[in-house]
Amino acid sequence: MECYSEQTCALAVDGELAADEARRLRDHLATCRRCRALVDALRAENHVLSESLNELPEEADSPAGFSLLRRSWGWGDLVIMAAVLALGSIISVWFDELSIPAALEWFNPFSPGGRTNLIFSFFYYFAHGGTAMLADYAAVIGWFCLLLLLGGSTLLLGRRGRLRLPGLRLLIVLLTLSLPGLALDRRHADFVTVAANETVDDTLVAAASIVRVDGVVNGDLIAIARTVEVRGTIKGDLITAASRTEVSGTVEGNIYTLSHTLDLYGQLSHSIYGAVQSLHVDDRGHVGQDVVMAAGDANLEGEVKRSVNMVISESGDVSGHIGRDLTMIGGNQGGLTLTDTARVGGNLSAHVRQLKNVHIADGATIAGKRDIQLNVRESRFTRPRFYVHQALWLAGAMLVGWLGLLLFPGFFEAATQLVGSGWRSLGLGFAVLVGAPVAMIVTAITLVGLPISIIMFEVYLAGIYLAKVWVGAFLGRTILRPSGATKGDWVLGLLVGLLILTVIGFIPYLGGLVHFGVVCLGLGAFAAQLYRASRPGRTSL
Amino acid sequence: MDAKRNMAKEPQPREGGTGQMEGLDFEGVIERARGHDVEALAEIYRRFVRRVFGLCRYMLDSRESAEDATSDVFLKLQRSIESYDGSIPFPRWLLRVAGNQCIDVLRRRQRGRKVIVEIEDGTAVIEATSSEPSPLRAVISMEERVQVRDTIARLPENYRVPLVLRYYSELSYDEIAQQLDLERNYVAALIFRAKQELRRRLPHRSK
Repeated sequence: MECYSEQTCALAVDGELAADEARRLRDHLATCRRCRALVDALRAENHVLSESLNELPEEADSPAGFSLLRRSWGWGDLVIMAAVLALGSIISVWFDELSIPAALEWFNPFSPGGRTNLIFSFFYYFAHGGTAMLADYAAVIGWFCLLLLLGGSTLLLGRRGRLRLPGLRLLIVLLTLSLPGLALDRRHADFVTVAANETVDDTLVAAASIVRVDGVVNGDLIAIARTVEVRGTIKGDLITAASRTEVSGTVEGNIYTLSHTLDLYGQLSHSIYGAVQSLHVDDRGHVGQDVVMAAGDANLEGEVKRSVNMVISESGDVSGHIGRDLTMIGGNQGGLTLTDTARVGGNLSAHVRQLKNVHIADGATIAGKRDIQLNVRESRFTRPRFYVHQALWLAGAMLVGWLGLLLFPGFFEAATQLVGSGWRSLGLGFAVLVGAPVAMIVTAITLVGLPISIIMFEVYLAGIYLAKVWVGAFLGRTILRPSGATKGDWVLGLLVGLLILTVIGFIPYLGGLVHFGVVCLGLGAFAAQLYRASRPGRTSL
Repeated sequence: MDAKRNMAKEPQPREGGTGQMEGLDFEGVIERARGHDVEALAEIYRRFVRRVFGLCRYMLDSRESAEDATSDVFLKLQRSIESYDGSIPFPRWLLRVAGNQCIDVLRRRQRGRKVIVEIEDGTAVIEATSSEPSPLRAVISMEERVQVRDTIARLPENYRVPLVLRYYSELSYDEIAQQLDLERNYVAALIFRAKQELRRRLPHRSK
């Protein structure tokens, strides 16, 4: 009888041969020594395989090394992120200790005041143009890039396993040593109150319908509520998102607010930053530093020690004292009114549509210059500054693109390619554009997430900026279709693409739509590539 | 096999350990786990985590992915254990679940496509390329076993996955075919080729 093939013998050894065929093979084995030897060898081989596999690799010996909580975006990554924050905070402290002269303070991107100032005055600078804008813009972008660079390289190091456990532990220690001792007191109820005889030693986080502080909060008060009333003392900052924020007590830090109305009857040692529908600084109210606001209407009856910078949509009334400059943009309905009791220690600058929008009473005192500019709508194309501005913008985007390509070539090229997935990137980008702010707010509410949400915000802004770089590069490459794919081609494509996007951007209505589409597309590609980069490498078949 | 006996079948010695559940027989542990008893689930985790992790580590390319998959298996176990009917031994059932989890991971990476794609004549039974088969030697040292394991880990996915499912999870060809959505004959061919490839890469370990 003819011998069986090795495959049939292997099937038999695996117990996978049909019953009658297995029986025939068994009969054959009784007479054929060669096949018997083969089956024995195959059986032994199976044994070797099972034995070798079942002797688990060493790394399986530490099942306690991971827990049920281990996720792909797990603790390791959180630790890395926290370490980046820690590093950031170390650098920021170092920056702060450099004692930068006040005149150069804008250059310090790590000063919290400067940063908030930048964020809240962003639109103002954009409208205003000029070199100041570029300098601030460069500082902000530099800050983002530094953080991204730090975060990116640490994440990469961690992912590639070069940052082993001891490294991570060291980072944790660094983190513990460097982060300020944030102690938190969280309260959540309909009515959160700090009684007059009560002292909260930590930062108080309150989410409620009404938050009332009659006592003392030694840290910051972070409140999300319908009404926030401060009658006592807050030693740190007051951060509110509320329908109504009223301060009749004392705030020794800054006020950051997003409210419908903000009424200040009490004492504020530092500045107010925020966006409100209605701002009222009562004649008993005192602001130790600046007011930087976007408001529907503003009524300043009290004292502001330093400057007031406001963008107002309806009216601004000043009857109190302002230590330095008063700058106002807008006020197209009620205009800017300075009453007899108003006193401005510095210059008065107003940017209005019509002269009649500014009313300055005879008794009002303005120590410096009066600079009232009319925002006459003339074609922007007739001004040389416009072209200089565009050229600078283009050069900036080219520089960012080139640097990005130099530092993260794989990431930039992959993101550029992802723009090509069209509707998918567009849809994802739109979802990120709309969803990310919600995610940031939700993350910020869970206090541990506050720094994370700040990082998310920065990545978000960077993504919006980089969107046109990727879309531009993709567009340019599609048009030029370079035979090779060198870095030079990429940069040339970027230049052509950006030029096209810039020109299209000037077309009324369509330009805005295209710009929106570009942001969505680029943001989508950025998000998709970030997701991809965070996943471990694929295995190929 | 009797369902009760299967359920009560103790896991292999390497999973054994001590704990609050020590007094309880394994059947009792599974019964309690079905009722979402946290301690019982923790006991199952403690006994089987190494074995499940081992499978995931062989099937997936990185320790991190294997850890994720292992976590997922035990997280989902809280619900999936209700579907365990005792018709097969629990360790084998659990490894089947874990195998499915790994295949899902691999499939997601392939963007939903099959993990192993059949080639055109894939169902044809192939014959040995050499007339003189030389299976791996029966008795090998510990270092050699490590080498065999490492070589298996470096095999291409379409060889490694069926081989591991067969000789680690001890699944039948039919079960592997079902998990991988392939023809049974093709699974047989892949396992056969995988062994040949292994012999080729470990020539001095063959006789």
